[in-house]
Amino acid sequence: MELKLDELVQDSRVHRRIYLEPEIFELEMERIFESNWVFVGHESEVADPGDYKTVPIGTQPAIMTRDEGGEIHVLMNRCTHRGSTICQEQRGNTHTFRCWYHGWTFNNKGDLIGVPYANGYGGSFDKRNFSLIKAARVERYRGLVFASLNPEVESLADYLASAKYYIDLFMDLSPQGEVESRSGIHKYGYDGNWKFQMENGVDGYHPNFVHQSFFETQGKQLGRQAMQLFAGNSECESKDLGNGHAILDMAPRRAATTRPVPNLLRGATSRASSDAYIESLIRRHGNDRTAEILAASNVNLAIFPNLLVIGIQLRITIPVSAKRTDVHLLPTTLKGVPDEINVARLRAHESFYGPAGGGAPDDVEMFTRCTEGLRVKGAEWLELSRGLERERIGVDGLTVGHITDEVPQRAFYRRWKALMCGVAQSRQIKPLRVARTV
Amino acid sequence: MATLRRAEAEDMLYAEARLLDERRYGEWLEMLTEDSTYWMPCNGNGTDPNREISLIYDDFAKLSDRIDRLTSDVAHAQSPPSKTKRLISNVQVEPVDDGANVISAFILYELRRGKQRVFAGRYEHRIRFEDGRWKIAAKKTVLVDNDEVIDNLTFIV
Ligand code: FES
Ligand SMILES: [Fe+2]
Repeated sequence: MELKLDELVQDSRVHRRIYLEPEIFELEMERIFESNWVFVGHESEVADPGDYKTVPIGTQPAIMTRDEGGEIHVLMNRCTHRGSTICQEQRGNTHTFRCWYHGWTFNNKGDLIGVPYANGYGGSFDKRNFSLIKAARVERYRGLVFASLNPEVESLADYLASAKYYIDLFMDLSPQGEVESRSGIHKYGYDGNWKFQMENGVDGYHPNFVHQSFFETQGKQLGRQAMQLFAGNSECESKDLGNGHAILDMAPRRAATTRPVPNLLRGATSRASSDAYIESLIRRHGNDRTAEILAASNVNLAIFPNLLVIGIQLRITIPVSAKRTDVHLLPTTLKGVPDEINVARLRAHESFYGPAGGGAPDDVEMFTRCTEGLRVKGAEWLELSRGLERERIGVDGLTVGHITDEVPQRAFYRRWKALMCGVAQSRQIKPLRVARTV
Repeated sequence: MATLRRAEAEDMLYAEARLLDERRYGEWLEMLTEDSTYWMPCNGNGTDPNREISLIYDDFAKLSDRIDRLTSDVAHAQSPPSKTKRLISNVQVEPVDDGANVISAFILYELRRGKQRVFAGRYEHRIRFEDGRWKIAAKKTVLVDNDEVIDNLTFIV
């Protein structure tokens, strides 16, 4: 039976073909990654004028730069002469990019500023017509830099919807309200579709099975506490934040009057620096907000389509092909805290994440197992109905379920379908050429 | 004070390579001092693990946890386990106060799930004389590709 694109994603299940087929992947690049906001990095990665880093938008090579005026640009890494990339390094500092094929030179705003032997071109040749292609829109929220190739895309603030509240909590862990990503990047990859990573980052059903071995080495008490978060009788929640974003909310009794110590600090820092840190938060935010911030420090937040905020990290999911994905983890440090706190954050992150971590590689293993399993024909669907009958609308108007429920995955695929099949409410989308059969 | 000769250093590295390739991790831990660290930098040569993220920066306790996890039967990324074989060469010994720094080069073949990969890099072993024998007081592994995307790296390099 032939299925149309909009039949591949249904309310409580998705078809295996969306993970496997190059044609669908190409459409995802066009209708999601090239038409929507995508996360490209943190502003501290290009802190100084001239700083740059390379980052793809979908599968297209791009460069995030900071110009001399302090503005951030996202330039496509493609010489406007005959196509060579103009930037070869992953990061660095430069005021100009020279394409070494025939020597054309661009500034870090993307303007063409030099053409060798220019008299070879006729009088109608105008350098202004050969600026680098730029992301049509670049906007920031609390240091997070997003880019869009679609000039008509809605404002970033509207796009982020209810996720802003949780991004604020993450940033407010710093007494200065700012985090930095200047400690390097973990990079790993897997043979499997990019959506596996985005589903998994806010999947509260898997940890007690995939990460059992990690929890067991965390000592009896801490390990049991962690497993309790994801148990069938956990009080934690999963929540649909709108526009495809979602969160695992591990602080359901938020704003408790006690002073919780964030679990990333537990045991890893001296009492003195942990007290000094918490005092500085209270000075800035007061007791209640501080308790709320600390209670939320164990975060799993997904921003559609390619950002996950987990633990201390900003995670970029980079689609490479239907069955290949790269992932970059940007660990963050807090501005304005004792060094010890940031060192503890780095150590806690390393113990679980990265290609050699004690947790994340086990997730990735599941993505490759799924990719293999999905070759089976006849079992066509992946079931995402968990919690469908018990989810409810919370006081904030958002759909809430148990932490082990598939609320986040349903949120993701609702957005996916809206963008892929042309019914997104919050933005204009190019009409489908035909209701094509893929 | 004993001095570590190159032949002894090589024997140690070969013995360690064999234990790791054969996944005899418990015996490997016995080659380490109890204040030992295992450092595998990310994004380059590694300058300060307190300011930069590493692929691994384990003290002895965390390394023991890592081994416990890897040898449990629910460490999925090592189920089935990687088969590895490493060759070690270019060994240089620099004597220091209570032992030596031993620099070497390695090539490591890994096979898992029908896929073979090759890794290469530099080992830096801090060797110290303790309890009547030479022990590893610190090990630093600098992979050539540590600034690139690396799939599953959960076996011990
Ligand atoms: S392709 Fe860049 S100068 Fe010719
Ligand atoms: Fe996980």
